[in-house]
Amino acid sequence: MSSVATSEEPTLGGMPDSALPMPRGRRRTEAAMLIFAVALVAFAYANVGLGLKGTLPAGMAEYMIAFVVLLAIAHLAVRRLAPWADPLLLPLAATLNGLGIVMTYRLQEVGRDGNPGTMSVPLSSSATLIQIVYTAIGIGCFVGVLALVREPRVLQRYTYIFGLVGIILLAMPALLPAGISEVQGAKIQIRLGSFTLQPEEFAKLALAVSFAGYLVAKRDVLSLAGRRLVGIDLPRARDLGPVLIAWGASLLLLVFESDIGTSALFMGLFVAMLYIATQRTSWLLIGFLLFVAGAYSASKLFAHVGERFQIWLHPFAGSNPFNNAYQLVQGLYGMGSGGILGKGLGAGQPYLTPLVQSDFVVTAFGEELGMTGLMAILLLYGLIVQRGLAASIAVKDPFSKVLAGGLAFMLALQIFVIVGGVTRLIPLTGITTPFLSQGGSSLVASWMMIALLMRLSDTARRPPPQPIQDEGMTQVVNLP
Amino acid sequence: MNRALRRISIAVLIMFVALLANVNYLQAFQAGNLTNKPGNSRAFAAQFQYQRGEITTADGKIVAQSKNVGGVYKYQRVYPQGLEYASATGFDSLYSASGIEAAENSYLTGNSSKLAVRNVIDMITNKPRKGATVQLTLDSNAQNAAWNALQGTGKAGAVVALNPQTGAILAMASYPSYDPNQLAVLDGTQLNKNDQALLRDPNQPLLNRATNVTYPPGSTFKIVTSSAAFTSGNDNPNTLVDAPTSLQLPQSSTRLINNNGEQCGTLGNGKATIITAFTESCNTAFANIGMQLGSATLKAMAEKYGFNDPGLKLPTSVAQSNFPLEPALSFTAMSAIGQKDDTVTPLQEAMLSATIANNGTLMKPYLVQQVQAADLSIVDSPAPTVLSQPVSPAVAGQIKQMMLSVVNSPDGTAAAFKNAIPGVQIAGKTGTAQNGVNNSGLNDAVFTCFASNGNRSMAVGVIIQGGGYGAAAAAPIAVDVLKAYLENG
Repeated sequence: MSSVATSEEPTLGGMPDSALPMPRGRRRTEAAMLIFAVALVAFAYANVGLGLKGTLPAGMAEYMIAFVVLLAIAHLAVRRLAPWADPLLLPLAATLNGLGIVMTYRLQEVGRDGNPGTMSVPLSSSATLIQIVYTAIGIGCFVGVLALVREPRVLQRYTYIFGLVGIILLAMPALLPAGISEVQGAKIQIRLGSFTLQPEEFAKLALAVSFAGYLVAKRDVLSLAGRRLVGIDLPRARDLGPVLIAWGASLLLLVFESDIGTSALFMGLFVAMLYIATQRTSWLLIGFLLFVAGAYSASKLFAHVGERFQIWLHPFAGSNPFNNAYQLVQGLYGMGSGGILGKGLGAGQPYLTPLVQSDFVVTAFGEELGMTGLMAILLLYGLIVQRGLAASIAVKDPFSKVLAGGLAFMLALQIFVIVGGVTRLIPLTGITTPFLSQGGSSLVASWMMIALLMRLSDTARRPPPQPIQDEGMTQVVNLP
Repeated sequence: MNRALRRISIAVLIMFVALLANVNYLQAFQAGNLTNKPGNSRAFAAQFQYQRGEITTADGKIVAQSKNVGGVYKYQRVYPQGLEYASATGFDSLYSASGIEAAENSYLTGNSSKLAVRNVIDMITNKPRKGATVQLTLDSNAQNAAWNALQGTGKAGAVVALNPQTGAILAMASYPSYDPNQLAVLDGTQLNKNDQALLRDPNQPLLNRATNVTYPPGSTFKIVTSSAAFTSGNDNPNTLVDAPTSLQLPQSSTRLINNNGEQCGTLGNGKATIITAFTESCNTAFANIGMQLGSATLKAMAEKYGFNDPGLKLPTSVAQSNFPLEPALSFTAMSAIGQKDDTVTPLQEAMLSATIANNGTLMKPYLVQQVQAADLSIVDSPAPTVLSQPVSPAVAGQIKQMMLSVVNSPDGTAAAFKNAIPGVQIAGKTGTAQNGVNNSGLNDAVFTCFASNGNRSMAVGVIIQGGGYGAAAAAPIAVDVLKAYLENG
């Protein structure tokens, strides 16, 4: 399991210079996989143009060169800053980001230049370019996180600062007037002119770090057993405080921002981290029951939430397909028309689904790449999650463990909530699809999360320092 | 902590498996089901992306086909003889379809499970997908004659012609008709405009009078009354029955008279043979026969001929012809001569004659000869089936004798058509049905007949709304159709 155990080949001082070959770092694997990712994305991009017009898309060369340059920067930064990091995380994220750019281009071309269809909310003619700029910002932040956070444990020092930042970010849209923050009945964004920011995307990361720090500090108290009930050790009543606070906060989110998806995400993140830190099954049960009870009463109390359940249960009943279930139903129709092999990029009608570029982007992939393509995309996410969990198991210190496990679980939960929502596995709640949805905040935050996971896996896989035997060779070398 | 992490990993695995399974369920298993859900414009647009199958007549004349016009909806439906064949083909519009276009939609689009293997092969060999061709039983000569004759009257009405031996529908025309090309336009706004205009037209052109509107059968119902009388064993064509010039109906103030109050036959004693009463269409004679038989017997016979059957499909829908139970004697008398609540479709009229022409066996009428896939293989060819046996061959022979007499006897109501088709004997029965409140409306003209040239035979039913006498308004149309079919075979 642990790569640490197998790292035996002595390297210079255990802190290799990036210029030297590093067989254990597996950076060459990463480079090869990145080439594969670029090839896949370039092929998909070309496919859109061929599917729509029968010619290669205009500007394809420039966009692909920009994409390659950005990935090269990311790769070189990893070589330098996190040489022992998992070699698959960067290529996986790059593939998903690239596919997101491809779909943005495909949807941008709807109704333009004689292509069929009309978007409910058309993308600007520079949407692809903007998405590439966001990718650049995302990769910039990725490098920034790797450069700033050299040791994950450093973050533990700022537990409460991150907590405060997270809460401020979350609360901001709720406190601002609806004109600036409301989108489709949910108050989740800050709009400044034509530029919108979704602070919750960054709040997720800040709170994950904060939860990890807090839980690791308090885990001894939290694991104390209280009464025993049907074979489960209940925690002491006085220790219920944190979970109740998290629950209350997520309910506030639900009530004031009408954002059931994010609410579920935070509750899930907190409970999962609590469970990893304490290993107490009772915390899982308590957290789960609290969330279900909260969501149920919210569905009864708030029309916006209750409607989601009705749409989920009866999307095809009566006039639902033409009214409030329209988006869900059109997404399902799109996936159905895609079938097993899909219509092909540029050949489907994803534009019939309202706002397909954001929450419903998965249905556009389902329609044009089919069941096969969508399953491949889900497996890409699954691999990122698995790599995150593997790093969590391999890493030694408790804070890093809880943080890696929490981040990986949060990604899994986010995919489950949004993909499950648009495929009618669970009630639909609008949250973004990491890397694929059009828009900047989610993309930048996702890259920062990949940076954190790579930092954590770098820590986990880094060979332990060799015992000092020759003073001359074991200078601790600071990286430039 | 690793134990908790491993459990979390399992939970994550379950979540992803659930997502993958659900995607499989949606896109592989539910895809077909989702196609038919409300508001699925993807599926509707998809059917205009490839060529829909053709609809042809039995002799190979194309009456509906899809032409490539480019654009979002690639193929547009074209009906070369729109008005003439509309009652059979129906229309296929952006929003809905009717007639054969609706009934045979799965073949025409190629979605039928019987075509699934061919579609996969076409997909692999990269052949453009094309729907199956539906060949109708219609004969273009007969159809043409029926349409022209109907159009010539300028009155609302319909003609149905059957092959008595198989039940194949040889002609089916309704007037006034509509041009399905107007509903095949791919511009939604224009389509709505055309659709509204047709719906508002007081002439109701969208009605298929051949199979979906019922009229009083009038004296043509005497075929059913005679069938019941002869089947009872007590009567034959030469049986003398009471046929007064005027008949006071029991428990009623109504006095029933023969046409123009004429005497029935030449005996002058208030009696006539059944064949004479049939030939001259004496109402009093058949009212008496009906009252003797009783309403239940009449109803049972009518039902064998196809009345009161809501389930008949051609595969297009057919309105039910009605013969309700009329226990009151005066009503039984009226219903025995095709008045009161008796109603028939022109198709039912043709079925009456077809039964007699086919020695008493009624074949199930059908409109689709065969379905041919794009690779020319036959995927469906319905075999003729027996619907019922209303009368024995002997009774059928007796009724045939009477129907021949209607045309051949100098006193017959359709004597004018004795030599209408050289070398062919026509057997028929006229009907002139009173209708409207207090019979104030113009009489509906009804005629049912059959003929054979030894090689081909045909049964025809014609109803002209407000046409007047059956012999004057309906019979000439039937004769035109017979002629067109028998002289070209």
